Amino acid sequence: MTTKNIYRPQTKIDYSSYLYILPAFIFYILFVLFPLGDTLVTSFTEWNGISEKKWVGLENYSKNLSNKKIISSIKHSFILIIFYSFLPIIIGLLIAGIMIRVKIHGMATYRAILFLPQILSMIVVGISWRWIYAPKGPLNSGLDFFGLENVSRAWLGSFDFALPFVGLIGTWVMFGFTMILFIAGVQKIPSELYDAAKVDGAGAIAEFLNVTLPNLRGEIIVALIFTVTLALRNFDLIYITTGGGPGTSTMIPSMFIYKKAFQMNQVGSASSLGIMLTLLIFTLVSLILIILREKK
Amino acid sequence: MKKIFLLITSVFMLSFASNAAETLRILAEAGDEATITEAAAQFEAANPGVKIEANFLGWDDFMATIKLKMADNNPPDLAHGNQGFTVDGTLIQSGLVISLEKYADQYNWKKQFANGALSEFMWSDDGSTWGSGSLYGISPVAEDVIVYYNKDKLKSLGLSVPTRFSEFENALKVSKDAGELPIVLGGADGWPIIHVWGLVEGAYVNPEQTRSWIFDASNVQFDTPNRIKAANKLADMANAGYFGSDSLGVGYDDANAMFINGEGVFNLTGTWMTADFNSGMGDNVGAFAMPTWNGGVAGGGSFALPWHISSKSSNPDLAAKFLNHLMSNEFVDDLMGVGRVPAQAPTIDPTSNLQAEVIAASNALVGDNAKTFYTDWATPGMYDTVTQELQKVIGGVASAQDFIDAMAAESIN
Repeated sequence: MTTKNIYRPQTKIDYSSYLYILPAFIFYILFVLFPLGDTLVTSFTEWNGISEKKWVGLENYSKNLSNKKIISSIKHSFILIIFYSFLPIIIGLLIAGIMIRVKIHGMATYRAILFLPQILSMIVVGISWRWIYAPKGPLNSGLDFFGLENVSRAWLGSFDFALPFVGLIGTWVMFGFTMILFIAGVQKIPSELYDAAKVDGAGAIAEFLNVTLPNLRGEIIVALIFTVTLALRNFDLIYITTGGGPGTSTMIPSMFIYKKAFQMNQVGSASSLGIMLTLLIFTLVSLILIILREKK
Repeated sequence: MKKIFLLITSVFMLSFASNAAETLRILAEAGDEATITEAAAQFEAANPGVKIEANFLGWDDFMATIKLKMADNNPPDLAHGNQGFTVDGTLIQSGLVISLEKYADQYNWKKQFANGALSEFMWSDDGSTWGSGSLYGISPVAEDVIVYYNKDKLKSLGLSVPTRFSEFENALKVSKDAGELPIVLGGADGWPIIHVWGLVEGAYVNPEQTRSWIFDASNVQFDTPNRIKAANKLADMANAGYFGSDSLGVGYDDANAMFINGEGVFNLTGTWMTADFNSGMGDNVGAFAMPTWNGGVAGGGSFALPWHISSKSSNPDLAAKFLNHLMSNEFVDDLMGVGRVPAQAPTIDPTSNLQAEVIAASNALVGDNAKTFYTDWATPGMYDTVTQELQKVIGGVASAQDFIDAMAAESIN
């Protein structure tokens, strides 16, 4: 590529330009940086939300790390990454790959329909799927119709199935986003590359692997960061569908943060878990960026 | 411009006018909306110049925010709390609510109830010990966990109302064998299983023992032989399929809807459901207090949410006066009218068979001093532990001993 930087390198910084970002920056400080700093300070204290904060150092952190329920909730989050991130990316890539080969009439309509879950409120999504998965809901009625009475069950009440089935809701929500992202990405791939591939005798699969996939690297990174972050910080979907149950089988760290802060009077401990979750997300996002970075 | 000026002036004057009257601000959990609306209208009529501003929040929102609202610089004068260290204890420890001793004497609240009946509202003044000390809250409403049953089904199964726990177990077996769902349970929500556990626990454990554990969980033994026996009973009931195979996938509201629509023989839940069952099932629903192993009665249950007066209230006397209106003999019948079970004996006859049976069950529990509150009151973390562990027992992935061990560990946590 021979794109030229059309901007001249600046030698002098014009400080007045900072004035333009000042209003937004004030909001950012007030509603992001200040609460983050406050949470960090609170995480080193014992605090019930209204009393005086009592400094306890790293005690909240060490307690969290030795709490088996919290550790298992982090494991659940990693399982959810498969459903919230990997599956939607695979499905999105497949749809984008098919679109290149097959021209479907009225594609814009299908695309809008497939994107729909993405714009629905998670509350709506959660309540709808709770109904779909209910013991007498449509899923079980369908299974019964095909004579699969042995398979049908209370999906969200099952210790074995609740987590993957909540995960599948996440897949349903997220694949519209990855699909749109990848379709947009595919459209910017120069058609010469596909022509060249055809000349070289590449079939659909070879074309996908050698042309489409490498050219979507940037989009895949964005999709990964977005969906992995969502999988780890997800709260509303679990809260609405299972509340972390049955038992602790769908418990995730953000549910613990909520319960500690609002049910158990442990705001300090909740803050420490919040900071730990932030660090975990930050680490994973950094790893994604490092591993998938374009090698120069 | 002139119009805007007029508007501003009139708004200012209006707000001034409403400040001139005495305003009582109330924040209540939504379950009491009908009660408070009724009482407020009566109180305003009887006390000209008094205006009541009541706000209501659904359970989850209420419990998540009540402490912060009471800690606010301009809190409501009168508000619900919740029994236990999590809400009431914190409010008292932080000095956000006042002792009601003075008003209890003035209005004779304590004489309305048996000795010790108000212990769930009693705290040491530093909020560190619970179950004795000063009166910090009061409620005119009783909430008991009892057994509702489908009359037609019980009759067609050839069963009668059990008078011992073993008879209840037999009724479950007969129901199951006949292809009926013995107990309808909304286990997906977790907390309804606490009510079931409370009744099974009560069938074997002395209520005095359970109450003292709830008041002082870290110092009173949980894993007593009788309680282990009760836990085994619950596990046996779950393993025998008495709750059906889907109960952990059914929410509380759905379970009650199933019961009203004729599914399930028994429903172990609270008296707050009486009005709904009555209107949904008519004469086909009955109620009794759970019998114990030796023929007494057992029940979870307590007073409804306590009313507290804010320590920042500018007019605590007015708040207490309104509270006394709720507690008064005159209001007892109105409580029945809005479908609540009054903690004091009503003067009018029950309006339905079901209400008569519910009041009889409630009276039996009071008479035997058999109310055992709710397990989750014991510690701030107990709600999570008990709901999670009970779901495991109901789902068959944990044994009775696992449940007992987890509960004992949470007690001393």
